[in-house]
Amino acid sequence: RFQALGPASLSSESTADLEQEQQSRVTLRERYLRSLSAMAGRPVRFTMYERVKVTALFGASDIDILNFQVSELQTPLGIQREALLRCSDIIAYSFEL
Amino acid sequence: MTEWQRKTPLEWLTYVNKEIEVLAAEKQNYKGWVLTVDPVSANILLANPLENGKVSVSGILGHAVQEVKILSEASDAMKEKLAHLFMPGESQTYSQ
Amino acid sequence: STGRSAQPPAEKPGERRGAEMKKLYGLGASKIQAMETTMQLNFDRNCDKKQPKYWPIIPLKL
Repeated sequence: RFQALGPASLSSESTADLEQEQQSRVTLRERYLRSLSAMAGRPVRFTMYERVKVTALFGASDIDILNFQVSELQTPLGIQREALLRCSDIIAYSFEL
Repeated sequence: MTEWQRKTPLEWLTYVNKEIEVLAAEKQNYKGWVLTVDPVSANILLANPLENGKVSVSGILGHAVQEVKILSEASDAMKEKLAHLFMPGESQTYSQ
Repeated sequence: STGRSAQPPAEKPGERRGAEMKKLYGLGASKIQAMETTMQLNFDRNCDKKQPKYWPIIPLKL
């Protein structure tokens, strides 16, 4: 009965499985979104491809997690006051709480 | 899409509250307690308690994840701390 | 297949997103959507105000 929905992103077949999958997605996503708000205004270290490491004050992310808006970006060539980092350039980031 | 990015939310959820080791792109290695895996980006969020009572939080981008190894399961006390780390209206200090 | 028809689209983008959110998040859809809307507004507002430029200019990973 869920064939009308049918996207590849939903793997479940029964109602119970579907609800369980949706509930998991809610829990995981809510925690991640909260972590992004907790990161706002904090200094974050970014490890990027090609061995590039930078730090910046985190501002915000778009909802698709494709871009991070940051301030006071310390690049190897100096400070860029306002910047956008492409998430596809980043391997990892870290901050303290 | 990597194997990690193709996992289902239920599969990602099984990593929450586990201590894992992640091998990422360019031979970067990360270890810590899984807070969550973002179901949109497959980014892994890890927590590591620090000596000074703070917590170091690391995000590893889903596209850069190559291998994930589970090391151990969190104690109930640790699970409690992980669950409350980002919840509003709660103390965010990490008492030892 | 886009742009050939003079008919208005059957679904508005907002509705489409709402239906998709419901499929993905079920009962929690409105909660997640509210959090995402706040986050995206924040991002858009910061970008409008601060006019950040991509760094690096050329992507590191193509």
